[in-house]
Amino acid sequence: MGYGRSDSYRVATSQDKDGKSSPSKKNKKGKDMDELKKEVPITEHKMSIEECCRKFNTDIVQGLTNAKAAEFLIRDGPNCLTPPPTTPEWIKFCRQLFGGFSILLWTGAILCFLAYAIQAATEDEPAGDNLYLGIVLSVVVVVTGCFSYFQEAKSSKIMESFKNMVPQQALVIREGEKMTINAEEVVAGDLVEVKGGDRIPADLRVVSAHGCKVDNSSLTGESEPQSRSPDCTHDNPLETRNVAFFSTNCVEGTARGIVVCTGDRTVMGRIATLTSGLESGKTPIAKEIEHFIHLITGVAVFLGITFFILAVCLGYTWLEAVIFLIGIIVANVPEGLLATVTVCLTLTAKRMAKKNCLVKNLEAVETLGSTSTICSDKTGTLTQNRMTVAHMWFDNQIHEADTTEDQSGASFDKTSASWAALARVAALCNRAVFKAGQDQLPILKRDTAGDASESALLKCIELSCGSVKQIREKNKKVAEIPFNSTNKYQLSVHETEDPNDNRYLLVMKGAPERILDRCTTIIIQGKEQPMDEEMKESFQNAYMELGGLGERVLGFCHLLMPEDQYPKGFAFDCDDVNFTTESLCFVGLMSMIDPPRAAVPDAVGKCRSAGIKVIMVTGDHPITAKAIAKGVGIISEGNETVEDIASHHTGSRSANSLCSLMFPLLSLSDAKACVIHGTDLKELSQDQMDDILRNHTEIVFARTSPQQKLIIVEGCQRLGAIVAVTGDGVNDSPALKKADIGVAMGISGSDVSKQAADMILLDDNFASIVTGVEEGRLIFDNLKKSIAYTLTSNIPEITPFLLFIIVNIPLPLGTITILCIDLGTDMVPAISLAYEAAESDIMKRQPRNPTRDKLVNERLISIAYGQIGMIQALGGFFSYFVILAENGFLPSILVGIRLNWDDRACNDLEDSYGQQWTYEQRKIVEFTCHTAFFVSIVVVQWADVIVCKTRRNSVFQQGMKNKILIFGLFEETALAAFLSYTPGMDVALRMFPLKPSWWFCAVPYSVLIFVYDEIRKLLIRRNPGGKWLSLSLYNI
Amino acid sequence: MSANKDGDGGWKSFLWNTERKEFLGRTGGSWFKILLFYLIFYGCLAGIFIGTIQALLLTLSNYKPTYQDRVAPPGLSHTPRSEKFEISYNVNDVETYLKYTKSIKDFLEMYDEEKQTDQNKYEDCGALPESYRDRGELESDLGARKACRFKRTWLGPCAGLDGHDENFGFKDGKPCLIAKLNRIINFRPRPPTNNASVPEAGQSRVQTNVIPIHCQNKREEDASKIGEIKYYGMGMGFPLQYYPYYGKLLHPNYLQPLVAIQFTNLTFNEDLRLECKVYGANIDYSEKDRYQGRFDVKFTITNS
Repeated sequence: MGYGRSDSYRVATSQDKDGKSSPSKKNKKGKDMDELKKEVPITEHKMSIEECCRKFNTDIVQGLTNAKAAEFLIRDGPNCLTPPPTTPEWIKFCRQLFGGFSILLWTGAILCFLAYAIQAATEDEPAGDNLYLGIVLSVVVVVTGCFSYFQEAKSSKIMESFKNMVPQQALVIREGEKMTINAEEVVAGDLVEVKGGDRIPADLRVVSAHGCKVDNSSLTGESEPQSRSPDCTHDNPLETRNVAFFSTNCVEGTARGIVVCTGDRTVMGRIATLTSGLESGKTPIAKEIEHFIHLITGVAVFLGITFFILAVCLGYTWLEAVIFLIGIIVANVPEGLLATVTVCLTLTAKRMAKKNCLVKNLEAVETLGSTSTICSDKTGTLTQNRMTVAHMWFDNQIHEADTTEDQSGASFDKTSASWAALARVAALCNRAVFKAGQDQLPILKRDTAGDASESALLKCIELSCGSVKQIREKNKKVAEIPFNSTNKYQLSVHETEDPNDNRYLLVMKGAPERILDRCTTIIIQGKEQPMDEEMKESFQNAYMELGGLGERVLGFCHLLMPEDQYPKGFAFDCDDVNFTTESLCFVGLMSMIDPPRAAVPDAVGKCRSAGIKVIMVTGDHPITAKAIAKGVGIISEGNETVEDIASHHTGSRSANSLCSLMFPLLSLSDAKACVIHGTDLKELSQDQMDDILRNHTEIVFARTSPQQKLIIVEGCQRLGAIVAVTGDGVNDSPALKKADIGVAMGISGSDVSKQAADMILLDDNFASIVTGVEEGRLIFDNLKKSIAYTLTSNIPEITPFLLFIIVNIPLPLGTITILCIDLGTDMVPAISLAYEAAESDIMKRQPRNPTRDKLVNERLISIAYGQIGMIQALGGFFSYFVILAENGFLPSILVGIRLNWDDRACNDLEDSYGQQWTYEQRKIVEFTCHTAFFVSIVVVQWADVIVCKTRRNSVFQQGMKNKILIFGLFEETALAAFLSYTPGMDVALRMFPLKPSWWFCAVPYSVLIFVYDEIRKLLIRRNPGGKWLSLSLYNI
Repeated sequence: MSANKDGDGGWKSFLWNTERKEFLGRTGGSWFKILLFYLIFYGCLAGIFIGTIQALLLTLSNYKPTYQDRVAPPGLSHTPRSEKFEISYNVNDVETYLKYTKSIKDFLEMYDEEKQTDQNKYEDCGALPESYRDRGELESDLGARKACRFKRTWLGPCAGLDGHDENFGFKDGKPCLIAKLNRIINFRPRPPTNNASVPEAGQSRVQTNVIPIHCQNKREEDASKIGEIKYYGMGMGFPLQYYPYYGKLLHPNYLQPLVAIQFTNLTFNEDLRLECKVYGANIDYSEKDRYQGRFDVKFTITNS
């Protein structure tokens, strides 16, 4: 099975293809990827429309000629995303079959077949053991390979998911005629028209627009629609108003634009190519397994060579020695471990799925546990991804609204007459409506039609004042001026509720400072008062304060129009405004924010105490980002950013200063937190980037592009961190892919992000990551225990063969019995260790250091092989000697007896008492010994599994709460008894029934293991970090 | 652990790190402490192991193994041994049968008359089959027991004594096999209770106080090719006065009774499969064990 992330696309795109191709091509590929990581090279937005037309040989009215279009189509290729070369299924399967751990077993199997071939060629009646062993090894690898293949068979559809975003049709103007063509045929220079509801067919330079708004959420992660117009408003093509991007949505209005890029060259195309082209390295667990294989192979080869030399010295023939060599190497292969590890990971994956973390790639299960840095997207991951009214200012006071998802937060005083007025304005001067048929849903869950702020107001009023629909019905709308960017306000005129009152009510909302300018009075406690300087100042303060919280502030005012000037039936003309919009009455402010999810601050806190650095990477504005960061604890209380400190020094408290990063100030050591703007990030060199990441514990990146997200992830990885990235948008996908573990959002996440990720949070809750980290750390600890347990029994399995060779005793343990241990009795207890509870609060310790904290290190091997394993071997040998002695062969005559013992022609072999044995009679005794040795290993493994439960704590502290483990103990014992006593086993497996007393031979050794290890752990606890003891006794 | 960190350089510095004076990632002092630890650790383990083995030996009887269920019923073994159940040689080529005759000669040496002269160790048990000779309980303090003499001459032409055929008939194509019932402590073989179990040809040799042995062709088609088979030894079987056996400690000079089987007229140049069986009430045969209470051997004697 593949412990490398063999999951198709990762490796598929470049690696294996390039392996065979010339180096120049490889370089080219590398260059391409670097190129893709750079910012978008679009410059057309800075050109005038004429320049643009000239560049593409097109005409602003007529569009391209058909001939030109055809020519460009041939030159640039179709306007679609090129899928990466896909990996055939059988190659994926082979990767599972031959990757990582399996290689070890395959090598073992091949060696077995080789040994059997040698024996078959040189002996008349070759022992079948090597053949069986080879076959069993192959079967084990194939079965586990198939298992993990089907586990991970969810093939990658990264490009397909991008393709789903690509529009089908496009309306182009060629030779002056409008025509609908297949979106694939759109070429650069085409004049394209889009309207509300369309997907943009290519990257467009807008040449004219009417109320056009686009939803760029797939690129930026921010779902707020942005208006498009022909003017260049920003140097950055991603920020400017006059560029619309391939595959984004036009929400409303119409626009016309010249195509500047098509297909893979579009901004989205670049992200897609980048994402599918990225390779993330091996998972931490894959590296650990590799390291483990190195160790195991080292030990096996060392043992093999040593005994090969010994065997030759002892006078065995070369061929015999070679067969011994192979036998020893193969005996070191832990046959059952591959299956154990796979099952352990699968179990954890299942457990995590129950806790809403769906793991796509088995190995990713552990990665989250090793994670030392989490780069989290803001919108939708940390926040609820819906605007909500957070604060209100009326009666010269800031009131806090409830922003929690379940309305459990604090409420405010709703009795004030000012609030009634404010609510009325907010309800009337609002075009958002609930979509039909949702009456049974809670208000916050309902869908609305309208922009985010208006929906927020709508929900807020609906929650606190009841049906907005009724309010609107009572106050019939007479006239309306929608919001536009020059006025920066929106107003509407309504009839009053009171049928006797014939005055009209004018309500207005908009940018607070613009609204204030139009007001002469202000409502306080329901009383209209003149707007004086003092009031204006307190308004300013409130406005600044709310703005400083990263909230979007709207001002509200109204006016009851005098009946004498505007009698009933007055014709309000909204185009040529024939009524007053001045001297209004200011009602209040309302501010909105996308509030953080309730569980996030706690989760961030947990991550922090677990030593994980949480970095926010968002496409949103720095102020908002910072506010949310503070809200969720990514910037902790009392920690100040460079800018905060700077503003203290200069005494000016300007929100804008956050945006600019002042490099000299970076050296301020007391600034642990920082907010970095995307435009500044662009200027940073790699070293500066490293400095920032290294020296700040709390970092927020704002206004970042998809490429920059990737660069941030790479920066963290360069510093040795294991990086998790959470995100939901297409813009996050390169970073998700590059991350050691990409975490996508299951509900709000785009298909592309889910494809690029390794893990999906089914409930979109950042807090689930904490669960994932916990499970990941636990499985790492528990895998260590499982491996220690499994490896230990290797020694009692190898030593019999070694003594058989060296001192020529009858073979104490046969191949079949070894397989019964590795693939039979050891399995369930080893797997049960995956269910072991944590020894200490694993969320209170630092993430493991991948260079130091290994899954298997030489100390673990030293304890498993050198200490516990040796005791186990002695237990096994003791049973062996007991059985032989009780049957007449005392230990003293066994040495050197092997040649006669294994001689079929010798049927009168004398034992210590002078009795004579036929070949078959003594073989039965030998196989009874194998059975007893096997049972002894089961008995000593009882102690071993209890000992392996903990690495520091005493078993008495840990308790025996692991029910699976207790089941495992009974299961292995029952299996051993079954194998020994079932009639027919003597023929099938050459296992013979044992006399009851022989079951107890190894018990003293079992007790010895338990006592020894308890003492060892006691020493460890007494001498934390102890001196030379640690060299041999510590396995942590 | 720090092995192969940076490719080739890693290995070298792992083997011997000049900077920190580390061999295989550890300093000399560290290696010494590790070795010392393991020395003590294994020393203790060895002590414990030897202790348990001693405890085991204490539970064992000196005279008789705890369990005999695997060794009984006794095996029937023969000298010379067959290789892969086969004895084949060329009558004209001494080299081909020398190993057989030599092994018989070596085996019969301990039955030499001059070795059985010590009256303290040997006694005459008569020349005719008698019943079991009880020499007391195993655990009694009678000490070593006397053994019955067994005369080589009883084996007739197969005795290989000076002057007689020193080739045990191999040279003439009339090979001898010396058969013995495997020794088992305290085992008293009982003669067959009814004659029906013994093949007709062997029934003439059934007598009291003797465990009869009989050989015949294993395959039907060989019936006419094996010729006459002659049996030599006291009572042409295993006489009961040689039983029971008291074990190596109490019966150091014990001589188990032998039967020499001579195949006097084997057809040359053919594979002949013969099976010899002993018959007794407490003698069993096993499907899988070809030497339990019987043996079979394939003779291929060539004369060209």
